[in-house]
This record gives sequence, structure tokens and C-alpha cells, in this order.
Amino acid sequence: MTPRRSIARRLFIGLSIVGFIGTALLLVFIINEHRQSFTALGDPAAARHAFRELFEHVILPILVLIIPMGMASLIVIRKALAPLGEAVAQLQVAERHQRGVLIDHAAFPTEAVPFAQAVNRLLGQLDQAARDHEAFAADVAHELRTPLAVLALELDGLDHPDAPRLRAEVIAMRRLIDQLMLLARVEAQSAAQSIRDMVRLEDVGADIVSLLAPGAIAADKTLSLTRVGEAVPIVGQRETVAAALRNLVENALRVTPAGGAVTVIAGPGPRLRVKDGGTGLTPERLAELVQRHRRADHASSEGAGLGLAIVARIMAAHGGTLSSVADAQELVLDFAPL
Amino acid sequence: MRVLLIEDNGRLAALLVAGLERRGFHCDHAETLTTATEAVVAQVHDVLIVDRGLPDGDGIAWLRDIRRQGHMQPALILTARDALEDRITGLDAGADDYVVKPAEVDEIAARIRALMRRPGPRAQTELRFGPLLVDSARRRTLCAGQAIDLSRRETDLLELLLRQAGAVVRRESIESALYSFAEPVTPNAVEATVSRLRRKLEDAGARGMLHTVRGVGYMLREPIA
Repeated sequence: MTPRRSIARRLFIGLSIVGFIGTALLLVFIINEHRQSFTALGDPAAARHAFRELFEHVILPILVLIIPMGMASLIVIRKALAPLGEAVAQLQVAERHQRGVLIDHAAFPTEAVPFAQAVNRLLGQLDQAARDHEAFAADVAHELRTPLAVLALELDGLDHPDAPRLRAEVIAMRRLIDQLMLLARVEAQSAAQSIRDMVRLEDVGADIVSLLAPGAIAADKTLSLTRVGEAVPIVGQRETVAAALRNLVENALRVTPAGGAVTVIAGPGPRLRVKDGGTGLTPERLAELVQRHRRADHASSEGAGLGLAIVARIMAAHGGTLSSVADAQELVLDFAPL
Repeated sequence: MRVLLIEDNGRLAALLVAGLERRGFHCDHAETLTTATEAVVAQVHDVLIVDRGLPDGDGIAWLRDIRRQGHMQPALILTARDALEDRITGLDAGADDYVVKPAEVDEIAARIRALMRRPGPRAQTELRFGPLLVDSARRRTLCAGQAIDLSRRETDLLELLLRQAGAVVRRESIESALYSFAEPVTPNAVEATVSRLRRKLEDAGARGMLHTVRGVGYMLREPIA
């Protein structure tokens, strides 16, 4: 492998070689022309004269040519490469899941455009591959619903001691499929950046609490909503925000023992918190659960890992974060302020 | 109670019909919208369960058509598409409720019962739920056959909760249903009415039926066995 060299360094070497060859050629000409005067170099006056001749006709012209040329070239190179640096900066701020990231090569020098176009083509293919993959996952999830519904109904008619356990398994599977479809929808929406409504977080909180309260009460747990401070609206996708909160509340109800309480706290500011009666989740454990689906490791029996990964995805799409306060047994959704 | 299930997947439909029959509903099945229209015109069904994608058209468009022709049987939309837009289209077309497929038979049965309790052209004046019976025409409330003495406002509240039994009724809906615009509603008025009603229900033997969902509203459910 040849060692990597910067353009400026190559230019320096190139110009040095040009200067060296130029000097040598000029020297040959000059010496040829002034052969007789150089024969008596022992005389100091003749030597001075010869040196002046050399300076005027060799060193000066070479310096006059090489120095401005070198500087001009450096400036041109720096200017020509500046747009590449800007493009790199743009690519670096692009988020992990951001779609449609392309190199803007409008300001690129002509020579660099084919390279940028090739990279853009590749980025486009990657986007398309991700979209195909998601569409496929959504299709699979969708197609699985009907056989699963049939299975659930078959079990419904089954009068066997094992039937309730099997039914619970089917419900868990259905939940997983719903999560997959939700994830596909979140990805599609965040790619399209389409629906952006004003969402009142406390309304979402009230919706989810009233949706899940009947189940909580049936399991002898209490679910309630508390409002703290002024209601602050956010801009986002109401359905997916609701899905994120629903995931957290369902997880919270799962880890809370009978007789315990789960509280959804709206506010202060653009924030939703879910406080449960479980043991709390350390930030490290949360990060692990969020990472789970990226590592394609679905070993979680409770199905919470995928749920939390989806919540984190939804929050990222809203410019917000999912975090955990273990001591307070709280999971916190922070949204970007308006 | 007679239910018409409009669903093209034969196996799914047969299983669902069997499940609903086990829960005491008499259930008929139509595989196409043409068959369904004949059944609806005959007016023998109390509730319609409508699937969306059928061989001869979309269930929602069909529902809009029969509503225009004046057939107002309560309808439950069965949809695999759970996006919000679909729900709104369904409810605009005259559906009374929707269930996302694949739904549990228990859930569908609960929704049908809830539909039958709703006010509407077919609403009964006698509402039964668990041990409770509210006769709204005669303004009489019974618990396990014994009369309970309720004020007008308590009866209204009980009726409201009962029509949506099993679901949380928002505090705001209770306020707007129980108090006219002119009346000033003090923050504790609803709470006070609810706690009086709860005490009277518990005294009459209906324990653990009226639940508070703090910050949101109230819910009436079957007593915990």
C-alpha cells in the first residue's frame, strides 16, 4: 500500500521537482552562454559577476514563478475541497435512522461529482433496502394476524385445562406482532415526516389511562393520572406518542404486584412520566433493553424489550428521549419543547 | 339477541360464530355484502359485525349506504387496519364502535353488550348490569330486586356509567351530562355525587362496582367475584 499523502504535500514535492529541474536546465543554458567568463572564476570580480548572472537569470525567475504558483495552487485546492468538508459535517450530524440522507454536491468541483453521485446512489439503495425490509416485516406481521386470530378462536372453544395457558401465549404473540407493525409505522412516518399535529400530552395521558384502567382494576391495581404544572403542547404524531405511553404503562402494570399503583404524570413542561410499583430500572438496564432489538436478540420472555426499543424509537422521531429514574421507579418521556 | 356477522374468511367466521353462540348470542353469518343487505332489510338482527375487505366491496362504504337507506342497527366494525384514519372513517360512516382484528371473542361480546346499552333508536328503557337494573322511564333503580333510593342526579350518573359499563367515563362527560351550562359546577360536585352513589350501591350490596380512576374519571364494572 502506498503511504497516504495530502494534496498539499504532493504539490510541494511536485513543485520542488519542477524547480529543481528548471534550475538545472537554466544553469546548463547560462553556463553554455557565458563559458568564457566562467573560465576565470579565480578572479573575485568575475566570480561576483558570474554569481549575479546566475541570480538574475536562474534563481530569481524560478522563485518568482514557483512561490506565487505554489500559493495560488494551495488556495485553489483548499477552496475546491471546502465543500467536501462541509458535506462530511452534514453526513456526521445525520441521525442513526435518518432517511434520505444525500451528499449535496452542488458546490463540488467537477472532478469530485462522479464520486459523490456514486455514494448518493449507494445511500439511496441502502434506504430502499431498509424500506423494503420494513415493508416486508409489516407484511409478515399483517399476514400472521389471520392465522393467529384463527388459533385464538380455536383455543376459545377448547375446554381443556391447558387452554388458558395457550391463550395467554397467543395473546403474547399478538402483542409482539402489534409491536412489529407499530415499529414499521413509526419508521414509515419518521421517513415521511408527514403528520405533525399539536399534541397535548395530558390528553394523551387521559386517553391511555382510561383505555388501560379497566384491565388494571380487574387485576386489582390502580392506574391514575396526575397533572403537574401548566399543560405544554408538543408537535408530533398523536397516535405514536400514545403508543409509546401505552407501552410504558403496560410494562408498568406488568411489573406492579396486585394491590399496587401505577401513576402517569403529565408535566411539568413537555414531559410524561410513568411511575410503577416495581423495583425500578437502572439507566444501564434500560439502555440494554432498548438495544435488544438492534442485536436481534428477542430472548425476553416478557416482551418488554421490544416495547422499550419502540418507545425509544418513537421518542427519537420526536426529538425527545426515554430515560429512567430507578430510585423513583419512573420511566420518563421528555419531548422537545415547542 | 341476534347478531349478523359479515366476514368473508369462512374459517374465522365459523369460529367466531361458535364463540359468540357460546356466550349466548344467536349469530348468523353473511359472506358477501349482497347477502348481508338482504338480511339487514329483513330487520331481524339487533347488532351487525362488519368486516372491512369483502369480496364485493368495502364494509364501511356498505355501512354508509344502508345507513342512508334508514337501517340503524348498531354496527361494530372489525378491522385489521388499526390506524387512526380508518377508525375515523368507520365512525363517520355510521359505525358505532370498532374492534381491531384479531380480537378476543370476549372483547367482541363485551362490545356488543355495550352497544345494546347505548342510547339510540333501539335503546331499551330498562338497563340491566350485574345485579343492577335501572328503569329510566319510571326512574327506578333496583339492586338484586331491592329498590335503592337515589336522587335524580344520582340516577342520571348511574345510568351514564351503566351505559358505558366496563369503560372509563371521563369526568368532563359526567359534568356536561349532569349539569346544564347555566349551572356552575363546583370542583367537588361530581366527586360528592359519586361518593353518595357509591355508598348507596354498597349499602344495597353492590360492592366494588363503582371505581375512581383518579385524574380521569369513573368506571362501573361487574362486582369482583
